[in-house]
Amino acid sequence: MRLINAFKKLSINKWRYIFWIIGLIMFVAPFALLTRLIYFTIGNIYPPDLHGICFRMPFEWIFSGRIFYLFQYPIMFGTVILALIIAFVLGPIFCGWLCPVGAVSEALSRIIPFPYRLRIKDTSITRSLRYGFLAGWIVISLLIGLGYIGISSICCRYCASSVLQSLVDAISSSTVLYWHSGSIIVLIFWLIIGGVFTVGGRAWCIMFCPLGAMSGLFHSLGAKLGFYRTIRRNNVKCNNCDICMKVCPMWAIDSNKSIDRTLCINCKECVKRCPNNAFTMVWREIN
Amino acid sequence: MRYKVIIGFMVAFLLTIYSGAYSAEIRKSEIVHFWVAVPAGNITHEKIIRDAGPPIRVTPLIIDLDGRGFLKKLLQPNIEAISTHWIYNVGKRPINIRLELIESDIPIVWEVKANWPYNSSTRTFTAPIPPGGRIDLLSIDWYFIIPEYYMDEKIIYDGGLLIYDANSNELLTFIPIMIIRSYHSYIGGECC
Repeated sequence: MRLINAFKKLSINKWRYIFWIIGLIMFVAPFALLTRLIYFTIGNIYPPDLHGICFRMPFEWIFSGRIFYLFQYPIMFGTVILALIIAFVLGPIFCGWLCPVGAVSEALSRIIPFPYRLRIKDTSITRSLRYGFLAGWIVISLLIGLGYIGISSICCRYCASSVLQSLVDAISSSTVLYWHSGSIIVLIFWLIIGGVFTVGGRAWCIMFCPLGAMSGLFHSLGAKLGFYRTIRRNNVKCNNCDICMKVCPMWAIDSNKSIDRTLCINCKECVKRCPNNAFTMVWREIN
Repeated sequence: MRYKVIIGFMVAFLLTIYSGAYSAEIRKSEIVHFWVAVPAGNITHEKIIRDAGPPIRVTPLIIDLDGRGFLKKLLQPNIEAISTHWIYNVGKRPINIRLELIESDIPIVWEVKANWPYNSSTRTFTAPIPPGGRIDLLSIDWYFIIPEYYMDEKIIYDGGLLIYDANSNELLTFIPIMIIRSYHSYIGGECC
């Protein structure tokens, strides 16, 4: 019975979960079909994997002033720019629908039943954590660019993509599963604390992802300019049942039921699960 | 409410900065990344090579297992790794390179990925690296699977990376590599 109920819940927003699988197949080796296709097209023989398209390093290169790296790795740069343009126009749908890192931790939170999960109800505090991290990221990048040796990149040392790819490699092939302190810390925060012990399983995405934080800013900017596709709440239909707050994996809906655009990833969980259909996707409409 | 927002921002900001400082500390002994220049001779001390291509800092590697992070020492102490993403030809002619790591009793696993033709059986990059050029999109990881009984030694591995001209077999560069335990005061076998 519980299994049937679980499947019923999944079927409510089934396209999103199908896109999670597509995202895994597109980016994660041994499939990495999108990376494979790009590499094949440009004649690159590097084995494609989740590292092939890093969503973090281009930000570090930009903020550290090492722009020349962007020309050495144009695929990474192009992918990140594309994700930001999409966030500006359509919302951060890469985060909500395709990103394998977020998909795995959110899926884990749905699979493992755990009654006591953490969540920050005040979206302004969640937002402050997210952008405190981004500010720290920018400062670290600047210091690296200035050659300060007391600080090092947090890009590769704490990389959830790398941990995910290593785990998949260890399952699918006989490679050595090497853990350094950074990857152990990531495993704890991304999958264990973030995935199991928090509501929605996306604490890592909320607090430690520069692409997520930048996409949130672009989404918010797109919303302000009225050039966006996003979720809107109908005050009349809402009966304050709080289901939207419980199902939002990004803690983007506060107790007033207002949606924080810098956190929302247009995942449509609130749209699909609201019993009164109070949430709808809208085009070019400023609240 | 406003002070909670400021505190949240500062906590995340400072935690991130601390993560960067911690990263700088543990990178000296966990999956140490290093640069390779060929030909550079025997690297006996840290130096910057300024020939063809960009300046390359090369240095002998000393990896101190006691300098690693707490979680690493606790959860996976007996596998350590070194890595390079940068092999530059600083010479004046194109070279094909062959890599060799001085063997010991410790099993060493190679993982080589590059946008460059590579023969894994001979450990040779079969296309020449142009003067001033580098191997494109390189990632080489060497994993040292250290047996339990070696973990009590003061010097666990004393070898190095040899880079040869694959055509003439001439040794182009030697980077000494040592894996040590600096806090260890004895050399195995003692009990009391």
